[in-house]
Amino acid sequence: MSKIKKRASTPEIRLLLGNEAIARGLVEAGCQVVTSYPGTPSSEIVPGVVAFKKELGLRTYIEWSTNEKVAYDNALAASLTGKRAAVAMKQVGLNVASDSLMSSAYTGVIGGLLVISCDDPGPHSSQTEQDSRFYAMMAKVPVYDPSSPQEAKEMVKDAFQLSEKFQIPVLLRPTVRVSHGRQSVRLSPVKKLSRQAEFKKDPERWAATPKYRLLLHQRLNEKLKKIQRKFETDKKWNYEISSSPQAKLGIISCSVSFSNIKDIVEELNLKNKINILKIGTPYPFPQRRVEDFISKHDKVLIIEETDAVIEYQIIDKDKVMGRLSGHVPGAGELTADRIYNILARILGELKIARLKDKPNTKLKALIKELNLPQRRPTLCAGCPERAAFFAIRKAFPKAIYTSDIGCYTLGLNLKAVDTVLDMGAGITLASGFYQAFNQDGKNVPIVATIGDSTFYHAGAPSLINAVYNKARFILVILDNEVTAMTGMQPTPGIGVTADGSQGKRIPLERLIKGCGLDWIETVDPYEVKTLVELLKKAGEYVRSPDGGIAVIIARHPCLIRYPQEAVVNPVKVEISEDCNGCRYCLDYFECPALYLEEKRNRVEIDRNLCVDCGVCINACPKGAIVAKG
Amino acid sequence: MKVQIILAGIGGQGILFLSKILAELGLRSGLDVIGSEIHGMSQRGGSVIAHLKLGKFSSPLIREGAADFLYVLEINEGYRALPFLKQGGVIFANLSEREEFNEKILNHLKKGKIVIKKYDANLAASQVGLLRSSNVALIGYSVGTGLVRFRYSDVKEVIVSLSRQGDVNLNLKALEAGWKEGKLHSKDLWRKATS
Repeated sequence: MSKIKKRASTPEIRLLLGNEAIARGLVEAGCQVVTSYPGTPSSEIVPGVVAFKKELGLRTYIEWSTNEKVAYDNALAASLTGKRAAVAMKQVGLNVASDSLMSSAYTGVIGGLLVISCDDPGPHSSQTEQDSRFYAMMAKVPVYDPSSPQEAKEMVKDAFQLSEKFQIPVLLRPTVRVSHGRQSVRLSPVKKLSRQAEFKKDPERWAATPKYRLLLHQRLNEKLKKIQRKFETDKKWNYEISSSPQAKLGIISCSVSFSNIKDIVEELNLKNKINILKIGTPYPFPQRRVEDFISKHDKVLIIEETDAVIEYQIIDKDKVMGRLSGHVPGAGELTADRIYNILARILGELKIARLKDKPNTKLKALIKELNLPQRRPTLCAGCPERAAFFAIRKAFPKAIYTSDIGCYTLGLNLKAVDTVLDMGAGITLASGFYQAFNQDGKNVPIVATIGDSTFYHAGAPSLINAVYNKARFILVILDNEVTAMTGMQPTPGIGVTADGSQGKRIPLERLIKGCGLDWIETVDPYEVKTLVELLKKAGEYVRSPDGGIAVIIARHPCLIRYPQEAVVNPVKVEISEDCNGCRYCLDYFECPALYLEEKRNRVEIDRNLCVDCGVCINACPKGAIVAKG
Repeated sequence: MKVQIILAGIGGQGILFLSKILAELGLRSGLDVIGSEIHGMSQRGGSVIAHLKLGKFSSPLIREGAADFLYVLEINEGYRALPFLKQGGVIFANLSEREEFNEKILNHLKKGKIVIKKYDANLAASQVGLLRSSNVALIGYSVGTGLVRFRYSDVKEVIVSLSRQGDVNLNLKALEAGWKEGKLHSKDLWRKATS
C-alpha cells in the first residue's frame, strides 16, 4: 500500500484501492476484530487492515479463517462481547456463511457487526454474478451499496453506528469496480475503542429455541421498520442530483453504476433533461422517496448492478424501465459503454436527445479482421500444478477429472479438469460420481484434484463423507503451500497467520489421516515419472478388494510466492533437431514458455518466461526437449 | 485538468504497477485520482487492462473514444484497447524493431490524428538486467517525450517508493534509459515541426 503523503495538506489524501479504503474505514470506526477468507474481489481488505494496524500501532485482532462461515462466527462472537467486528468475503463466500447470517439476523448483535460481501459483476473471477443485496433481503438485514472507494470508507463507519443502534448485523456490498477501484481517498482520524470483552448470558436470545425464534423474528421486523424510516429521510447516501422540473426522464441508480451515469450526464450536458436519484441503502427500501421521485417523471430508468434489487421492490412498475422490462441486459457487467448505449437508445426512443453514435465502428471492424488470439489465463511457467496435471493425464488418460476452485481450475487447459463447481466439489463430485456409477456395477477411474487452502476450507468434511460412505477414487491434493490465486495468503498447512506471526501448523498428512484414510503418499510433482508410478499404484489400491480412497499430496512451493525455493536445481532445456512440430507438448503440457515457431514448424522456448524447472523434458513423446550440455 | 489513461498488456507484465505509478504521479500533481484494475484469474497470463482517470471524475471506468493516452505493453492487447482512444490521443507502445501495427489500422489511426510512439522497452529492460522493468522503461519514455507532463524527479521518487526493495536500482536504470530515449524523440518531434 502506498504511504506517500500529499504535501502539507489536511486532511491527508492517500491513493487507496477500494478494499484498502474499506480497511481504513474499519480502522477509523474502531473495529477491533476482523476475520475473512480470501476470495477475489475481497482479498485486499485483510492485508489493508494489517498494514494500518502496523502503521498506527493498533491492537486489532485479524485472522484468515479457514472458511467464510467460520470467519463469520468468529467475528460475531467478538460482537457478542461488545466489540466492533467485521467479516469480509467474496459474494460466493456469503453462500457459505449464509447460515450464520440468517440466524444472527434474528439474534442480533451487541457490538457493531459489519458483513462485507464483494460482488463481481462480469464475472471477472467468480462462478456466479449473484447480487449479495438479495441476501440482505432474505436475511432481513440492512445493506449499504457504495459507489466509490471513498464512499465505501464512509459507509463502513455509518454501518457500525446503525448496527449498534439497532443491534443488527449490517451488510456492505461493494462491487468489483469499488473493491478494485483505486482512488485518492481523504482520510479521517482513527477511533481507538478499548472496549473490554464481556459476555452477558441470555439463553433466550443466544440459544433461542423455535418458540423464542418467533419473538426474535417479530423484533427483527420492528427493527427493519425503524431502519426503513431512517433511510427514507437519509440525505447522505440517498440523494438527487439535478432536480430539473422540466426533465421527463428520471434515473434511479446505485453502486458504481451511479458513478458512471453521473460522469456521462455531466460530460454530455444532460442535466436539464435527466434527473438522478442515487440510492445507497437499497434495503430496507426507501419506498416513499423512490415513489415520490417516480411520480415526478414520465419515465424512470433503473441502472443497478448486479441484479434487479431496487426494481423488484418498486410496487407500481408502470413507468419503470430496467432489467425486468428488458431495457437493461440481464447478465454481464454494466460498463460505462454499456450504460451509454442503454441511455442513448432510451433518450432516442423518448425523443429527449440524440446521442452521437460511437465513432469506432470502422476501427473495431479492422481489429476484428486481425483475428487476434484469445488470451486465456494459464498456469505460470514452471507451475508445479501443471506437472501434476500432466502426470495425472499420463497415468489415467480416460478418467473423470473432478477439480475445484483455485489456480488449478486452469488444469482445464491441459484437459485434466472436467468439473469445477464450488469450494470442495472436487471431492464431493468425485464421491458422487463413484456412487452413481457403482450403483450400476460400473467401475470408472476418477481422479479428483483440490488445492491445499481449498482442502482446509471445504475439502475435509467432503473427504470424511466420502470415506464414511466407502467411495473409491484417487484424490490428488495440489499443495503449493499458499492460497495462490487470491494473492498469496497463508494456509493452516504453513501455520502463518494474517499478520505474519506464527500460528499452529496443521500438516495435511495428519488431517487426512484423521479423515480415516489408509493410503496416503507425498510426492514432489516435479518428479513426473515418480508421480505417474504412484498414481498407477494408487489406482491399484482403489480397485483392490479392500481398497478405498487413495490420497497423493503433490507438494511443491508456488513459484510466485517462493521464487527461491521453487526451482532449486535449475535445468536449462533446449529443443533438439528431433522436434517435428507435433504440438503434443503444447496441447498436453501447455507451458506458456513453449511456443510453435510457425515458419520452421518446430517448438521454441521463450527464455523470458522459462524458469528452468526442466519438467517439460517429460512432455515430449519424441524426446526432443533435452537438458542443455 | 482531466486526463484519461488506458494501460493494456498481459498478466505478469506489471500493468497494475504501472497504473499505481501514474496514479501516484497524478496525486502529486494535486489531481483527484480514480481508476480500475482487475485482479485474480486474469493475472495468470490473461489480458489485463487498467483504467486511470486524473481530475474531477466519479466513475473509475473510461468510455470508448475518451482516453488521452494508451500505454501498450503487448501489441495484441494494444489492438484490443485501441477503441478507447480519443481523436488526437497518444499511444506509447512497447514494440520491438520488428513489430509494427497493422497497416490498415495505422492508416485509420492517422486519420484520427492519433500519435503513435514506439519504443522497445523490453530491450531496454533486458539491457538493464531486469526483464520486468519494461513497464518502468515505458513510463520513462513517455515522460521523456514531454507528452505526459510529470516531473522526472517526481517519477524517480515514486519509483523508489513503490518498487520492491531489490528492484529499486534496476528500475531507476530502466526509467532513465526510457527517459533518455523519449528525450531524443521529443527533439525529433520538435525538428519535424520546425523544419
